[in-house]
Amino acid sequence: MTQTKAETKTETKTKAKKEVKRSVTINPGTICQPIGAMQAVLGVHGAISLVHGSQGCAAYPMRMFNRHFQEPVEIALSSLGEDAAVFGGADNLVKGVHALVARRQPELIAVLTTCLSETIGDDVNGILRKIDLPSILVPVHTPSYVGSHVTGYDNAVKALVTHLAEQTGPNSKINIAVGLLNPGDIRELKGMLAAMRVKAIILTDISETLDAPLILPRPRFPDGGTTPREIADTANSIGSIALCKHAGGAAVKYLASKHKVPMISGSCPIGVANTDAFLENVSHLMGRPIPDELRKERGRLIDAMIDVQFKIAQKKVAIHADPDVASGMARFLHELGMEPAIIATGTESKEFVADVQAVASQTGHEIEIISGCDLYELHEAVKAVGVDLVMGNSQATYIGDDEKIAFARIGFPVYDRVGYQRRAIIGYGGGINLVDQITNAILDHADSA
Amino acid sequence: MPLTLLECDIPIPEREKHTYIKKSGETIVPRCNVQTTPKDLTERGCTYAGCMGVVGGPVKDVIHLIHGSIGCAFYTWGGDRRQNLSDNTEFHRKYCFSTSMQEPNVIFGGEKKLYNAILESYERFPAVKGVFVYATCVIGLIGDDINTVCKNATKEIGVPVIPFSCEGFRGVSQSLGHHIANDVIFEKIVGTKEPDEVTPYDINIIGDYNIQGDLWIIEPLFEAMGLRILCTFTGNASIDDLAMAHRAKLNVMHCQRSTPYICQLMEEKYEVPYMPVSLFGIEQTSKALRDVAAFFGLGGKAEEVIESEVAKILPEIEYYKEQLRGKRVFIYQGAPRAWHWIKLMEELGMEVVGAATTFGHTDDYEKIIERIGDGALVIDNPNSVELREILIGYKPDLFISGLKEKFLAYKLGVPFINGHSYERGPYAVYSGFLKFARDIHTTINHPAWKLIEGRA
Repeated sequence: MTQTKAETKTETKTKAKKEVKRSVTINPGTICQPIGAMQAVLGVHGAISLVHGSQGCAAYPMRMFNRHFQEPVEIALSSLGEDAAVFGGADNLVKGVHALVARRQPELIAVLTTCLSETIGDDVNGILRKIDLPSILVPVHTPSYVGSHVTGYDNAVKALVTHLAEQTGPNSKINIAVGLLNPGDIRELKGMLAAMRVKAIILTDISETLDAPLILPRPRFPDGGTTPREIADTANSIGSIALCKHAGGAAVKYLASKHKVPMISGSCPIGVANTDAFLENVSHLMGRPIPDELRKERGRLIDAMIDVQFKIAQKKVAIHADPDVASGMARFLHELGMEPAIIATGTESKEFVADVQAVASQTGHEIEIISGCDLYELHEAVKAVGVDLVMGNSQATYIGDDEKIAFARIGFPVYDRVGYQRRAIIGYGGGINLVDQITNAILDHADSA
Repeated sequence: MPLTLLECDIPIPEREKHTYIKKSGETIVPRCNVQTTPKDLTERGCTYAGCMGVVGGPVKDVIHLIHGSIGCAFYTWGGDRRQNLSDNTEFHRKYCFSTSMQEPNVIFGGEKKLYNAILESYERFPAVKGVFVYATCVIGLIGDDINTVCKNATKEIGVPVIPFSCEGFRGVSQSLGHHIANDVIFEKIVGTKEPDEVTPYDINIIGDYNIQGDLWIIEPLFEAMGLRILCTFTGNASIDDLAMAHRAKLNVMHCQRSTPYICQLMEEKYEVPYMPVSLFGIEQTSKALRDVAAFFGLGGKAEEVIESEVAKILPEIEYYKEQLRGKRVFIYQGAPRAWHWIKLMEELGMEVVGAATTFGHTDDYEKIIERIGDGALVIDNPNSVELREILIGYKPDLFISGLKEKFLAYKLGVPFINGHSYERGPYAVYSGFLKFARDIHTTINHPAWKLIEGRA
């Protein structure tokens, strides 16, 4: 009964979307591929992205990272000008790579394409193959007119493992592809793995590179990050898990098919059931029990959830986030006794729709599922459905203001409040953070009304 | 001293031409406004950034429709809500419009998609007075005829639809984007409407983008002298203000890098003279008010305004001067603020040990070199590797730059002010100067610097 309801609802929605398919995107729910790829590369120790594009293609994403992570970032650029647009950008790229190696001696350079260089048609792979330098050169195809920042992250992590992974003998580690999450999430992840005494290769690890301490002198490259050697070693791991299948899933699949590294594809570990499943998967792959420490953390999360029940139960929520975060949140909202009324993502994905449909059919909630959703469409849906809480990035806050409803920040970029990037949303600890954040957003709103 | 080569630039010796240590009596200007070497970790932005992000974007009552891939639109959307302020917050910078070109559009062309996007946007926001269409990189390559699309769309919706061909790969920096925006606004908008009334005291303030409300503290000073502000270009501007700008008696030009083009065009076609001014610090602001007042024969009025404004801030400024005397500062700005602020720092008793611009032209560097002291470093388009070497080597007490350099400065333990978009501004004229001084004092004396492990 409820299952049908959810399915009918989605079908109607899908139909409705076709009818109103706009040519204009109003208040985008996505960014373009290169910025996602840059975030992946920022998690590799001693690596620099070299963007093969025009100058805005580096300057703008840098500002976005600065504002969200409150950290400096270095992005190199081939600075394509009018000549390159006519005659091709090979010369710029070759010079750029040589100078970058001479001046910064990075261990790895990821060359990211853009809509400009892809349309010009430069053979980036061919150009890089001819360059002989001590740095590892990895071509990453990130045409801005395909997919989104999520696709870009996925492509970059896949390119890194495709280029580097090499079978050299078993290593007793697990590969965890994290996706477009934050330093706080990776610290939470490492805490869980340490508690289970599981050694991991994190693809890729921004927990220190994008949350670096202020200690002088500053190292030449930020400490931390996944080393190219570790990425090479992913071919030898016991198994792989992608926390976000849309962002990191391709790399894990590649390792499974090429290097026979078993993979488990599950939900992003947000909330109780999703975290349980993740830990069970790790336990299953690695043959390690789930320790008391994590059982206690789970208990603390559930304690927090029960404590706030009368403050948040039955509240209807609209969420707009990257696909795996949004679908993971859908289940957690159910666990909190809230109503996941609108679950939306900017990136077009059938898999996302199926994931949320599964939540709907298992929990009986009527969920409006929107994939490929800009914030204008989200706003229209919020007005039509009527919700108590909107969750989205800093660009979406106006929806809460306009509709006079509570708003909680999640996703990227979050720049108008401090601390988001430091707090986990994954794992039991992340769940506790979300309970606090969601409840306080609702209480703050009620107080100010 | 001649041109010099930083240590980090040994692999790219052509950077020597961009790096100069000032010596009186020499007539050397560092090489500037040329294509960035593709060997660079440049801080520069693109032509689209100059056209849409700087000049076009602040116009408050038009739809800014970005024709291209989605990122270009996302990055210029709203942003920090405290930048480029306007009084139309229910629309301006709140909404972001893009054709979000997909692969099939790139293959088969995006003209139809653009046309539909214009109509759909206007249908949803019919209160707007026009549509600005910006072409980004991919559009220039696939050759969409945006002029014709905009012409047809104008006929259909009845408000001006204005095309800007500001593909990111054109030009060497943001600077060409400023020029393109000036030319298009002049050609397609200025002179298309007449004001209800004109007075002998009408001025335009050209080249101020109302960063954190700069204009809202600038305008009252001119109004207090009996002048009327017809148009601000383009901070908090309505497209109607731009359309009537040709009826002003004088263009007061603040940003002299992004707007000399339109000032010259208006002088040629409408005989509106222009006057370059600096509206930062006591000395420069007072000179600007005196010069403009003299043009209108209102000298006495200027003295009244200056006297009353200076009296309000002088005691506190004297305090900060005492505190900041001898502090060494490195200024890196887009272009004009690098020389606007040399005087301002001197007014606070500080020493400018270096100045740099992202996209300055020869005239910007001439002004910097004329104002800066002997031995100071003047560097064009410094990249992050060079900035790191400069900040470590020169150890300035203060670095004034933009967001991209802010966290680098912090990580190197260098006190910093964001001079591009401000954090606790506005910094213009008298009241802004006091805030500027307060913020400089705040960052230099912040207690946490002393707690950093390893800071000498």
